[in-house]
Amino acid sequence: MALLSVQDLVVRFRTHEGTIHAVNGVTFELEEGERLGLVGESGCGKSVTNLAIIRLLPKPAGRIEGGRVLFEGQDLLVLREDEVRDIRGSDIAMIFQDPMTSLNPVLTIQEQMVETIQAHRKVSKEDARARAIELLAMVGIPNPAARLKSFPHQFSGGMRQRVMIAMALALAPKLLIADEPTTALDVTIQAQVLELLAQLTTKSSTALILITHDLGVVAGMTQRINVMYAGFIVETAPTAELFARPSHPYSVGLLHSIPRLDEEGGEELIPIEGRPPDMRRAPTGCPFAPRCAWRVEACWTNNPELRPLTEGGPVVMTGPKATHRIACHNPPTPNEVRGGRPLRAGFTAAPPPAEMLDELSLAPAEVTADLKGLMAGIQVEEGPLSVYPSAGGLPIPPEPERRNDGL
Amino acid sequence: MTASDRDPATGRPVPTTAGGGPAGGTPSGSGNGQGDGAALLRVEDLKVYFPIREGMIIERHVGDVRAVDGISFSMTRGETLGLVGESGCGKSTTGRAIIRLYEPTAGRVLFDGVDITSLDKGGLKGMRRRMQMIFQDPYASLDPRMTAGGIIAEPLDIHDVGAKRDRRMRVRDLLSTVGLNPDYADRYPHEFSGGQRQRIGVARALALEPDMIVADEPISALDVSIQAQIINLLERLQDSLGLTYLFIAHDLSVIRHISDRIAVMYLGRIVELASSRDLNRTPLHPYTVALLSAVPIPDPVVESRRRRIILTGDVPSPVNPPSGCRFHTRCWLRQQLGNPGECETVDPEFRVLGPMHEVACHFAARVDGSTEQLQATGRAPAHAAGAIAGGAEFGDASPPGPPDRPQGVAD
Repeated sequence: MALLSVQDLVVRFRTHEGTIHAVNGVTFELEEGERLGLVGESGCGKSVTNLAIIRLLPKPAGRIEGGRVLFEGQDLLVLREDEVRDIRGSDIAMIFQDPMTSLNPVLTIQEQMVETIQAHRKVSKEDARARAIELLAMVGIPNPAARLKSFPHQFSGGMRQRVMIAMALALAPKLLIADEPTTALDVTIQAQVLELLAQLTTKSSTALILITHDLGVVAGMTQRINVMYAGFIVETAPTAELFARPSHPYSVGLLHSIPRLDEEGGEELIPIEGRPPDMRRAPTGCPFAPRCAWRVEACWTNNPELRPLTEGGPVVMTGPKATHRIACHNPPTPNEVRGGRPLRAGFTAAPPPAEMLDELSLAPAEVTADLKGLMAGIQVEEGPLSVYPSAGGLPIPPEPERRNDGL
Repeated sequence: MTASDRDPATGRPVPTTAGGGPAGGTPSGSGNGQGDGAALLRVEDLKVYFPIREGMIIERHVGDVRAVDGISFSMTRGETLGLVGESGCGKSTTGRAIIRLYEPTAGRVLFDGVDITSLDKGGLKGMRRRMQMIFQDPYASLDPRMTAGGIIAEPLDIHDVGAKRDRRMRVRDLLSTVGLNPDYADRYPHEFSGGQRQRIGVARALALEPDMIVADEPISALDVSIQAQIINLLERLQDSLGLTYLFIAHDLSVIRHISDRIAVMYLGRIVELASSRDLNRTPLHPYTVALLSAVPIPDPVVESRRRRIILTGDVPSPVNPPSGCRFHTRCWLRQQLGNPGECETVDPEFRVLGPMHEVACHFAARVDGSTEQLQATGRAPAHAAGAIAGGAEFGDASPPGPPDRPQGVAD
């Protein structure tokens, strides 16, 4: 039995501006000691998924509207609040992006750590304090006994995140959820914190869900990755497999839109055109279709399910042999994955069906312009990055050819 | 955009460096006095201190935050210089001091031969027509009560460029130049997405047809998929308009992609300045090596080959920077060399080590070809393969087996 099994999770937010479709049926599993990366951009539902797992969604706006979250076989979504509180912190712990806002600024580290430990374990204050010192030493805080008396603001950003890790691991949880744990940190401090996280979770075989937008971080830190877009998992595979054979147009697009430190030069960035989806619209069709260069007609009306890349055989949900699955009607070929754009002769991305145009044309700017042009089959007059009349009298050539290495 | 074809020494269509081989018209700063008149911008020993005052009624000056503490470099027309470093290293302060949003404490900033630091208000206004800035936060840097058109036209109004009617046309031109629909001139910032707002910021910077743009973290507030749109836009504009960019960012991968040359800053100083390619292949300052090694690369196979240098501790305070070399308190090389006293007492000079490659480290020659350098740049196996399937492998600074030495620069 998997340590964590999330089944068909649906989360929505009711707001003044309408219903936000944050998570739209997410299913995944996690084994003990496994390290899973959840990758996606802001608003893709990766954080909300995890807040739902530990039942910390902001109330009353956030509502779990479907699905089950089985932790060691027990459905967390049906538990009473006090039962969840027992599990939260002791069996499942969480680290957030900004350690300053997750620590209480008016209490010393000692008060906060001792409180956490005593809330879950029947130990004396002295023992709890000894344990706190031990934990601070473990995460590399110099002179831990003295630093216990410090307030959060007396630590630097990296040190605060270490304190958070110490508190999260205080009760030896089975699952640690780290939500962008290093995004607020400088890169050399990020390296420190990631190393620490990797070391400690490996040592105690704590399972880890690492939420991040940084593909570099998951490449080194995780064994398996779920790529999320608009509240859906659009691709899932073991880490090495995902980077060797990214197969969903969104994953391919992400990998082509970030510069790599080790690029030899000449690598062209291929941006994903358009902009992130409006989560207020109930998804019809594939959520990535409006930005996808590979879209076919079906993509507009029919949201593809997550299916194995190569059909046949049972679907493995976890571990290093997990099945590589994508949700796509028209996956890029290996050559297209390398090239970053469709290479089939005569292929053009399918225009949206007529009845969707009105709705889509309400969306401002880039997407609209793009779609209008595609629809009418006429010259795009106001597209993104496609028309360059002039800048101050200087003629700007349309879409200059990229200079290749050596030219 | 490649490092090689944008290399100012070789391929860049910059008239001023036409004949310059690597050793010839080196555009880099500190060492070479008046040599090249080609520089569009020359920064000489720039210092920006922010005074710390104490006391409510009688304020006493009790110290300074030495945000920028004596840096020199120069830039040729049409090139992109990347300024990279961690938060608090002074990179943004440098950018702002160059266009005098901050008053420099000392030093000179020569733009096209004119010392900006001594200009009066009128002179400065004229000069600012030629240097514009793009800011990090596309939400905070646009006035929410002005329309996009108003925002873009504001520089034209201030500098009284053209007739009112022409300005409207110019705004429409600029909007389409940056890839926005010209009809959106009447919309307000909140109606645009983050990427679109940054395009408005770019259009505003272009309005006066500047020679140089200081771009301070222009993409770090944007989503990953949008970042590439803005990078490509900036590159395209540079190609067609011959712009010179001072590109400030904390992300080495981005800096590496867009820059011809890169200056690495640490605690108010430039510690290494080299062509983008050299800096990434043969970094010669221990800090640069550590910085490179810390940048994660989105490829598990490469990641398993690399080994991070974990720097101990945090960056010291710029109020009271360490003596000697400012990096000595965290330097892995100094530890390896048995803590030589020099590092603590002597402020290392900026030395030229190789073509257009300058470094401020007493022992830079020891960095070249070191295991750390090779591992940070992914050129040496950290250890036998096998870690790939298992995922993460983070190591400490201790070197495993002997690396094969490649050809060096400094030796």
